[in-house]
Amino acid sequence: MLKRTIPILILATSGAILVVAYFSPFTTNWSEVVLMWFNILAAVAYVLGAGNLLAVNLEKVSSRRAGWAYALITLVAFASMLTFGLFKIGGVPSEAHPDVPYAGDYESTQSAFGWVYEYMLSPLTATMFALLAFYVASAAFRAFRAKNLESILLLGTAFIILLAQTAAGMFLTGWIPADSVFAFLRFDSLRIAITEYIQTAGMRAITIGIAIGIAATSLRLILGVDRSYLSKQ
Amino acid sequence: MSVTMNTPTSGNRLLWISLMVFGMVGLSLNAFARKDGMAHGYVEVKEVERVQVTVVQSAGAGAASADAELKWVAPTDPKIASGEYTRVAGVAPRAWTVESLVPAKEAAMMMTARDAGDLTVERVEPSAINTFGIWIAAFLTLGIFSFLYRDNPWYKVAESVLIGVSAAYWMINAFWSTLVPNLFGALAPTLVRAVASPDLPVSSSPNSDFWLAVVPLILGFMLLWRLAPKGGWISIWPIAFIIGTTAGLKLVSGIEADLMAQAVATMQPLVVLNPADSATATASSFSFSAISFWGSIGSVVSVVGVLSVLTYFFFSLEHKGAVGKTARVGVWFLMITFGSAFGLTVMGRITLLAQRFEFLFTDWLNIG
Amino acid sequence: MMKLLMMSLALTSMCSAMPPSATDVFAIDEPGDAGFALRVTFTVPDLAATKEVRIERAATKAELAKDANMPWIVVATVDANAGIEGVLVADLPKDESNDGANANQTEAIAFRVATVGIDGEQAAFVESAAVIAKMNPFIMKRLGLAVSVVVTCASVITWILLARAGRPVKLRRIAALDAVDEAIGRATEMGRSVLFVPGIQDMNDIQTVAGITVLGRVARTAAEYDATLVVPTSRSIVMSSARETVQAAHFAAGRPETYKEGNINYITDEQFGYVAYVTGQMVREKPAACFYMGAFYAESLLLAENGNAIGAIQIAGTAEPSQLPFFVAACDYTLIGEEFFAASAYLSGERDQLGSLKGQDLAKAITAVVIIMGCLLATFAAFAPEGIAARASDSFQSFLGG
Repeated sequence: MLKRTIPILILATSGAILVVAYFSPFTTNWSEVVLMWFNILAAVAYVLGAGNLLAVNLEKVSSRRAGWAYALITLVAFASMLTFGLFKIGGVPSEAHPDVPYAGDYESTQSAFGWVYEYMLSPLTATMFALLAFYVASAAFRAFRAKNLESILLLGTAFIILLAQTAAGMFLTGWIPADSVFAFLRFDSLRIAITEYIQTAGMRAITIGIAIGIAATSLRLILGVDRSYLSKQ
Repeated sequence: MSVTMNTPTSGNRLLWISLMVFGMVGLSLNAFARKDGMAHGYVEVKEVERVQVTVVQSAGAGAASADAELKWVAPTDPKIASGEYTRVAGVAPRAWTVESLVPAKEAAMMMTARDAGDLTVERVEPSAINTFGIWIAAFLTLGIFSFLYRDNPWYKVAESVLIGVSAAYWMINAFWSTLVPNLFGALAPTLVRAVASPDLPVSSSPNSDFWLAVVPLILGFMLLWRLAPKGGWISIWPIAFIIGTTAGLKLVSGIEADLMAQAVATMQPLVVLNPADSATATASSFSFSAISFWGSIGSVVSVVGVLSVLTYFFFSLEHKGAVGKTARVGVWFLMITFGSAFGLTVMGRITLLAQRFEFLFTDWLNIG
Repeated sequence: MMKLLMMSLALTSMCSAMPPSATDVFAIDEPGDAGFALRVTFTVPDLAATKEVRIERAATKAELAKDANMPWIVVATVDANAGIEGVLVADLPKDESNDGANANQTEAIAFRVATVGIDGEQAAFVESAAVIAKMNPFIMKRLGLAVSVVVTCASVITWILLARAGRPVKLRRIAALDAVDEAIGRATEMGRSVLFVPGIQDMNDIQTVAGITVLGRVARTAAEYDATLVVPTSRSIVMSSARETVQAAHFAAGRPETYKEGNINYITDEQFGYVAYVTGQMVREKPAACFYMGAFYAESLLLAENGNAIGAIQIAGTAEPSQLPFFVAACDYTLIGEEFFAASAYLSGERDQLGSLKGQDLAKAITAVVIIMGCLLATFAAFAPEGIAARASDSFQSFLGG
């Protein structure tokens, strides 16, 4: 009862209420309230995340499991950044309220927190992001080797669109007169035709399908048809 | 499988190692040999001083509050001289320095200008801690790049730092930008104003704000109850609540923003008229020359595309016969769509890579 | 000559009389709106002599308390013929009297309207009666949305009920979902783990919710096969939900003792921090099967390419259109958009869930018919921009929220 019926009821009522609430001016802002609740809930739940991160890495370090030194690095990085941010170490006071102890900006570049962000977090994430340039190349290379019609269409289109964005596109097809019958073969015209008509159509259909999928998934959950998240115990 | 990015052959490995060693030695030599060497970090230094003042109420003001308004302003504030503000006696002024990062090139220009006697330019100083920071950033950047060769201790160090730092970063972010204003600010506004957010707006309905904040707090405790030795099952309640609200919200917003908006956007005329003719064209005086051939083709292709891709998504129809052919056309549309999106992304990714190289060569090695 | 011209100009301006004042000035509460809006209608007797119309509203009590010298506030200056349809005045201040009890309506507010002649001379103001703007219980402009929601839900519910009543539900095969068992089986045979990535968004994203429901099915198969299932998460609540779900799957498979909480961990909220960890783990632990089910952004390709490099069977599912190309290019199987949302129902094999998929097809068919109707109307409208088809097309699209 407590473990199964009540959660199903909570889910059904909260879901149904929010569906109806959207249509009345009296309740239409409930979605914002729920979003604020969710953000608070997510912030409180960090205790679980932080607890788990500490537990996993402490266990690795204390049992000297393979790679424990890296776990130690993670622990030190985590604990220092948490301390820096919580106590705003090295931060400057707020100009309008220098007498309020924690009113300063926690992300100011002068603070320890800001320093770590600037010289560790930001370059690390930016470099992970930049790795994609290599992976895009290797993915394209693989698609190139798969010789079926679908992959040829995918890669061929990608190639045309890429060339059309660069000077090479102009160089290769720029000689075709823009007012001739063959003007559609110019990379820039092809690009417009592909993105405006085909890509737009494809994305629209995908999005319509997604909307129906979302509606049905939500409905299955609200009606209690899909209970995969619940224990049978 | 096909691409063996993390399992290099030995010849391949030798090539990579020699390339890396050669590159690093060469670049370091180059940077050390020159007079201005590797890059330095610079900061702009600004002295800040604040004094506490009372705002003198002008006689004509309508709703004068009982408490005199206190403010912190610069001692040079003209309103002190004009008498609008009066210094609070017995409160010591506060002074501190604010340092903000300045790119090396800009710093050099600013220093030259100031040395030449232009005092309107802010003071710029080399900063050891920021120079050190650039080295750390370069070390971590190269650590991540080394993963392209293979998994290795350098990458593992960078990865461990990234996990620890970023987890704490988002937690701190949630603490100061969600918990403090929205939870603590609603539960104990006076305390929050005194300690952390003096500008926390005064709520018009503090009571309802309080109870609205208690709800997620209770749900949060239920979620955390998993850590308790007994009764951890209660955490499914807040999860059911989250799933329920998400389902309810997205059901409607999905249909509104995705289904209806996209369906309406598809409802275009199948026959497109030339812009000049469409104004004059009427059903009675219609001529075929008014039709834009390519525009109409494009329009028909769009609609056929939407319908054929939708056909592909049908679950209850086997992809055979006419349905199969239509679905096949749908797959072609999908592949061209994906290819186009792929092609449009590549340039952006290369730009990101270029920015990292720019950091390494300009900011760190100072040879850009 | 110059003098003459000046004189004639002066004469014309003297001749142009002040326009007659507006008549029939009414303020009406806008029906079916979110409140705080009144529509002002009026008639201008002499359109030719009137350049524009000035509209002012009475100040509220609170506004008068602030500044007693401003009893009227200028609202708008509009065309002379705007009065027929009326001018909608929105964002009126709420009634602050009665300690907030009337906060969902305005005070009674009067309007006054004055016509302005061609030369700028203004006729006398004509006042309307004072009217309260109230919130209406239903937002009228969302009627089309309400109908769509009802139609979509009804399609799905009808087929759930039909399936329960025993109506046969035949669905086509989806290769990606047929491959799930095979992938987990292969991992078991090879003695390697199964990796499940539920995306990088939190539980307030429906894709994560859908990903978690798929996780329930995957975990059940993994529990039956006794394969190790590893779920790194990038959100604390997702970790909690994944643990609940996987534990539930182990119970359902009749093997609660094999559930290991330690395989489901929180890593970091940071997108690239999370992906740095997951790709690192992939090359170290070499899972034999990788599932990516949820909301993904730029990290999709980092995951999929590394999975490829270690030779894992990769099955992805997302409704993030921008990332689909990368999954399609780098994974063995990709559930595209709606297929992803159907995955959990498909894998469950339960009658009513499969029925709901048939309901989705019905909703898609209705959508397709509506689109075709809209296109035909728009086509007719293009040939006769002023005709009845154009009006029908316009109202059809605006009903649907266009």
